[in-house]
Amino acid sequence: MTRGNRILLSCTYWAFVAYVFVPLVLMVLMGFKDSKFIGFPIRSYTLEWYMGIFENAEVISAFAYSVAIAVLSTLISVFVGTWIAVLLEGRKFWGRAAIFGLTVLPALIPGIISAIAFRIYARYLGIEPGMGAIVWSHAVHNVPFVVLVVMARLSTLPKSQIEAARDLGADPLIAFLRITLPYLIPAIMGASIFCLLLSFDDFVRSFFLGGYEPTLPVLIFAKLKSGMSPEINAIATAALVLTAVVGVWAERFTRRMNKES
Amino acid sequence: MTYDASAREDRGAVPATGSDRTFWGRLASWAPYRALVQLATATPRRQFLILAALPVLWVLTQHLGPMLQMLRVSLTDAYPVAAGTEQHFTFDNYLRFFGDRLFWMPFFRTLGFAFVFTLCTLVLTYPVAYFLARHVSPKNRMLLLLMLLIPFWVGEIVRTYAIMILLGNTGAVNLALKWLGLIDRPIPFMYTSFSMGVGIVYLTALYMLLPLYSALEKLPKSLNEAAADLGAGAWTRFRRVTLPLTIEGISSGCTLVFLISTGFYATPVLLGGPSTTVFAETIAGFFHVAGDEWPTGAAFAVIMFLAALILTTLFQKFMTGLRKGERK
Amino acid sequence: MTSDALVRIQNVSKQFGDTVALNDLTLDIARGEFVTFLGPSGCGKSTTLRILGGFEQPSSGRVILDGKDVTRLPPEKRQVNMVFQDYALFPHMTVKQNIAFGLELKGMSKTEIRRRQDEIMSFLELDAYGDRYPAQLSGGQRQRVALARALAPDPALLLLDEPLGALDAKLRGQVQQELKSIQRRTNKTFFFVTHDQEEALTMSDRIVVMNKGKVEQDGTPEELYFHPASRFVAEFIGETNLLTGELRGTEGGAVVMDWFGQTLRGHAPGGVPQAGTPITASVRLERLGFHIERPATANAVQGRVVGKTFLGSRMALDLLVEEAQGATLKAYVDADTGQSVGEAPVWIGWEESSMAVLRD
Repeated sequence: MTRGNRILLSCTYWAFVAYVFVPLVLMVLMGFKDSKFIGFPIRSYTLEWYMGIFENAEVISAFAYSVAIAVLSTLISVFVGTWIAVLLEGRKFWGRAAIFGLTVLPALIPGIISAIAFRIYARYLGIEPGMGAIVWSHAVHNVPFVVLVVMARLSTLPKSQIEAARDLGADPLIAFLRITLPYLIPAIMGASIFCLLLSFDDFVRSFFLGGYEPTLPVLIFAKLKSGMSPEINAIATAALVLTAVVGVWAERFTRRMNKES
Repeated sequence: MTYDASAREDRGAVPATGSDRTFWGRLASWAPYRALVQLATATPRRQFLILAALPVLWVLTQHLGPMLQMLRVSLTDAYPVAAGTEQHFTFDNYLRFFGDRLFWMPFFRTLGFAFVFTLCTLVLTYPVAYFLARHVSPKNRMLLLLMLLIPFWVGEIVRTYAIMILLGNTGAVNLALKWLGLIDRPIPFMYTSFSMGVGIVYLTALYMLLPLYSALEKLPKSLNEAAADLGAGAWTRFRRVTLPLTIEGISSGCTLVFLISTGFYATPVLLGGPSTTVFAETIAGFFHVAGDEWPTGAAFAVIMFLAALILTTLFQKFMTGLRKGERK
Repeated sequence: MTSDALVRIQNVSKQFGDTVALNDLTLDIARGEFVTFLGPSGCGKSTTLRILGGFEQPSSGRVILDGKDVTRLPPEKRQVNMVFQDYALFPHMTVKQNIAFGLELKGMSKTEIRRRQDEIMSFLELDAYGDRYPAQLSGGQRQRVALARALAPDPALLLLDEPLGALDAKLRGQVQQELKSIQRRTNKTFFFVTHDQEEALTMSDRIVVMNKGKVEQDGTPEELYFHPASRFVAEFIGETNLLTGELRGTEGGAVVMDWFGQTLRGHAPGGVPQAGTPITASVRLERLGFHIERPATANAVQGRVVGKTFLGSRMALDLLVEEAQGATLKAYVDADTGQSVGEAPVWIGWEESSMAVLRD
């Protein structure tokens, strides 16, 4: 590889970094603009927009709503996903490939189609649009990610660990709770964080299955449709900071856990 | 040492009772629990059925169910059924699609966009993945990769909005161009297929980058050196060695990005204009109005899904063929 | 022995798909015995162990433990504990917690658990490591923890699945002695599985040699070594001379064979083979004696030393027996004898009891 090529490649990388970061940085900056109109240049700065979030009941309730949905849907996804992973990583059985295929299906369906399918099914099941419907759709949509992460970890658990527990008097359930589950904790933590973020960031399912109360992304979308304003920047930045911080923390946390075991 | 003697004495010892036992000890000797476990694990077959029941039920009713229900609704003339009327089986919803330019234009536009955006993402991220996998020391690699991952934790709407600010008439790009003296009047980037493309590539780049990166990382360095040793130039090496061996990564990255691109709703709404209406918007339209439009919406979603599925399957077949051809 | 049998394996067979792992195994294990199952990988020894542990169910046959049929009982309901090949210590539990695991599930009180923990830990000299995690222990220590954990619930039968495989050669010899003495002191029944014949000879009261899912021979280490029943056993354990010849018949208790014109007398621990077929006999290298005159032993042939290998405490001799169409024998002698043997022909003699005519 020649020197010129190398420099060119390195430039491409940094250009990509710029592409990925600059829009977000600009968005954060715009939230400080002392004007009602979005647009450069920014001549004077204010904290007004950011402080305003804390007094905006609409934003705070949307935020809390999104967090509640994320937590509830994650609990369901992790429970079901771990169960499915244990089945799929266990002994071979007829139809296992089919079950695996169906398990990953929700992750492969394009967003709008997934949202429509859930909307129709929710009505079929008699679930009214609203929190329950959103939680349910997020839970189903996120199960595949939990299954994949947990299966990967489970495949590295030596079979003798479970056999040893059984040998010492543990029934299958106690062996699972005392040996398998502790072993899976890093994977489950990682998958949970991933699910939380997926749910918190999700727009399309929340939009089609939501009732009158908007989640944070739906609220931002609604505000955007009626025009841009630094207020939206401040709200979006708050969402950004939360997800980025949680994401980075999770990344470090899971890597530390993996190193330890 | 008299280990044996002391142990033997205990063999018949009465198990302790009450709180002196540990939690697990109490659970394991609690009669109802024991009975329950006994019942559940009486035969290996029963134990397996209990383990399998929830997963199988879940994937059938929750993963497959919505798709099947959507298919069913797409084949009916009214949903939900109004009181006093009857529901009929019909293909009309599918036929409607072909009858109106307003329907099939967005459909083909979506596929065309998804194709172009996928290609753009590939061209854009391949050098980045290549740089990370081949030119960065393993120690720094994770750090540089992690840096790229952070923005991808941020949601679809927030990132779409960021692109709006970047490309608006008073946005950063136009401002920069004006400062440089290249333009007098702002270029209207927004509400065009260009702004939509920038946004969608921005949202999907990670799904391309990661498969490419892992494919490139697996590639042994010695292969390239061997090719260089045989007198292959940089371009030849890339075309004959690196590219064929990363086809798997390219194939899965492209499939993922294509599927995701076809599914965006909010981004085209916010970044696109009237001339860039995508099929997702068409489908969504049937669900915002009266309920009797649902069957048509469902049919269109089925069309979209099948088209995406068939195209990506064909694409994967093609790529596998390509890979096998190269190996001969 | 049968009345005091702790374990009775009755006509047990096990198939995995098309492969037969165990073929109609019947065997009793007495209380307090150190039994070793010896054989190459895939011989069925591990399958037997796993059936005893409850990890596999036999395709047919019964397993009786302490007079109770346990064939279909899951592992947690058997008075059997196991030391795993990889120890299978629980990585998220300390040594103490690992040991307590089995005790807790027996419903013991906390004080009782503590008492047993201390007892077994001092017995196996683990007192100093109670609060350590498995990752903080050496290979030998882990092995002892695995043993402690399996012994703590006071099992009727202890299964050991090649527990020394992960240790280096030096430590291994030491642990072999330790294990043997632990077995003596606890007076527990040990069921030991290994592919290492030396290990088996050193430690066991009784060795069961397995091959292709069947028992080749079952006996004390001495019996197996000096009186192998089959060619497989003779070759698998130690070094031996294999003499191929023809069966002549039996005389009293002795089997008479023809070895390239030499008439030899041996015994048949595995039963007398069919007449008329080529048969093989085994004579251990150290059982050949050297004499100037024709000795009074049951068998004697004249041979010449054609090669010497110095092995330290002893010497290996390669012998050419011209009378037997140039067949060769190998012998171990002490170093002094080895030095003194010259080029001249010598008489090689061995007893009837030193030569085992093999079943196949």
